[in-house]
Amino acid sequence: MQLTETASERALAEEVRAFLARAGLRSEELPHGLDERMAVLRDWQAACHAAGFVGRAWPAEFGGGGRPPAEQIVVDQELAAAGAPEFVNIVGLGVLGPSLLRFGNDEQRKRYIPTILSADEIWCQGFSEPEAGSDLASLRTRATEDGDTFVINGQKTWVSWGQYAPLCGVLARTDGSVARHRGISMLIVDMSTPGVEVRPMTQITGHAEFSEVFFEDVVVPRENLLGELGDGWKIAMYTLGHERGTAALPRQVKLRTWLDRAVSVAARRELDGHPVLDSPEAQTALARALVRIEVLRHHAYQTVGEFLSGGAVGAESSSVKLLMAEAEQELAATALEIFGPTLLDGDADDDAENDFWYETYLYSRAASVYGGTRQIQRDIIADRILNLPKE
Amino acid sequence: MDLELSDEQRWLDESINTLLERQWPPAQDAWQAGDTERTRLWESLVEFGLVAGAESELGAIELCLAARAIGGHLASVPLLGSVGVRYALAPVAAGLPDGLSVLLESASRLSIALLEPGGGWSMSGVGATVTSNRLTGIKAAVEHAPSVEYLAVVAVVDGEPGLAIVRSDAPGVELTPQSSLDATVPLSRAAFAEAEVEAVFEHELAATIIDRLLSIAALLVAAEAVGAAERIFALARQYASERRQFGRTIASNQALRHLMADLHVRQASSWSTTLYAAAALDDGIPLAGQTASVAKAYVSRAAREVAHGSIQVFGGIAFTEEHPAHRFLRRIIVREQQFGDAAHHERELGRALAAGAAARERPTAVSAR
Repeated sequence: MQLTETASERALAEEVRAFLARAGLRSEELPHGLDERMAVLRDWQAACHAAGFVGRAWPAEFGGGGRPPAEQIVVDQELAAAGAPEFVNIVGLGVLGPSLLRFGNDEQRKRYIPTILSADEIWCQGFSEPEAGSDLASLRTRATEDGDTFVINGQKTWVSWGQYAPLCGVLARTDGSVARHRGISMLIVDMSTPGVEVRPMTQITGHAEFSEVFFEDVVVPRENLLGELGDGWKIAMYTLGHERGTAALPRQVKLRTWLDRAVSVAARRELDGHPVLDSPEAQTALARALVRIEVLRHHAYQTVGEFLSGGAVGAESSSVKLLMAEAEQELAATALEIFGPTLLDGDADDDAENDFWYETYLYSRAASVYGGTRQIQRDIIADRILNLPKE
Repeated sequence: MDLELSDEQRWLDESINTLLERQWPPAQDAWQAGDTERTRLWESLVEFGLVAGAESELGAIELCLAARAIGGHLASVPLLGSVGVRYALAPVAAGLPDGLSVLLESASRLSIALLEPGGGWSMSGVGATVTSNRLTGIKAAVEHAPSVEYLAVVAVVDGEPGLAIVRSDAPGVELTPQSSLDATVPLSRAAFAEAEVEAVFEHELAATIIDRLLSIAALLVAAEAVGAAERIFALARQYASERRQFGRTIASNQALRHLMADLHVRQASSWSTTLYAAAALDDGIPLAGQTASVAKAYVSRAAREVAHGSIQVFGGIAFTEEHPAHRFLRRIIVREQQFGDAAHHERELGRALAAGAAARERPTAVSAR
């Protein structure tokens, strides 16, 4: 185990810093409106990809860097230190890209991986349904084979970035005659296909980052099947493992930038005539949030190294997911507690800052629900790591 | 950057555990082990190569692996000071006075004396003073003091924090046993009345050595707590899979499954963060001290939480003296309190965050570089 960067890692860090000095973007500079923000974020990921900082460990033949996984960590670290936003194609990078690399054929990988990396094509995932949440295997969306095509009918929900995504990984039942896990397949759906209807849903934050997606006789060519017929469950579990594990790396970066932001706001805001940050209670509360974020980072490093490059995802990613939710929720609640009354009485400038913290706080409630609830993660750990008897 | 343990490190981990299984009584009997067993175990660990001179190649990772094993077996040996002081002095080994080098090359045991009556774990609480090579002052909760040859005493030297090495049987040194929650970590009060010092470090050199000493000590006690928590949790898990109530094994209840899943997360992440901080210290990463604070702050609460949850799983049986659960809990609590508990390290980290903001820089607490 060695944390010191090698000469080439040091050179890479220099390269990232030079890039940031030239073309850096800080999270605070992002526009508030979602459409404007999406446009800026896509340009940002594209610029980072052109510089070689996205998918650093992904295979070079599909547009990745083909480098050791540790280099992605170096890049993430530098971006975090500069307060840069996370990459916008998060579902593509953290969820479906790794599944394409693992289960896709070469044609699919050539077609989809490069544009995931460049953010030319944002991805969404169609997993959950109104009647299939934590019990994902009970999903009802059906894909019926019809010659060289599948015809999809059904409804998906909680589809993050659905209205911005031209592509969706859809889990659908292709065989109703076998045990529920085994009759599911994964299809890549072009969202512009007739019969696909996207209805954005407004979240508690006021933004519409996710959608309901309706499928009515949506025709999908057979070549869009990922893996074999009936592989859907296996792919979904792999995919969710990535969502929990790999996604923790950019997420902890983001949490760190938020913590730094909270510290600087606490330094300039006054409460009872003193900067918030002067109070030992505020310092300690921020330190606790820092500890949570650092522990998330350390445990994620221990856990995800092997599958950053597309290796197997272990059940330990569920621990990472739990730590991730805990860190995010602790940080958000800490901000509310230390800023206290100042959140109620901001001037015009501070209003935007207050909005950010309220939004961050509200968003943090999703952290223990998306990608498998906290309770589902505990079940996975109990079953697969602790080997405890089932109920 | 390489985030996995090497083959040699895995081998060391296995070997020390094997050694402890052979040389030390099982957990429920460990507290009864007397001086003979303790001395024999110490000699085995020395023979194994755990206590080498200041130029030893053992890093913080290896030492934490050993400490975790010792915690898991509730072994009673003065490892902390003996390897901690050697590790802290390693970077300056080449420039040490001959007498001190010989001392470190031998198998001599050391204990660290920092805490003072009424004081905390920061340097501001240090009142012991070295003047003309004589140490005067009082230290509290010095572990294994009667069985070590030397004490590494943090003291004021020339108006600044310094470190003095003193023979534990030197004239002017008086050791008084203190009560300890864990009988296998005996504690003493040490009073020094113009006791002669064997070696003393002062000024900048002392500051560097003390920083490193406090970091390695915090990590070693954290690693021991992780080891103890890991073992009590393993026992609880096994018990829950065997014990039947309401006609089924209790581990099949979701309430216990989820409790144990949470304990696993605390346990696994405690070890990850300890290991990361140890690697940071070995690599001489700037702010490695803050990374050690993160680990100690987290493990202090997490290990206790694992012990509490495990005791809950056992139910009433864990409240009996004969059951080993409380032995692990005791070790965990003592290790939590040594070298800064969660509150201490959170205060330190919080001050660092504030200082970073005050310096009109981005807060610099803890980064991978």
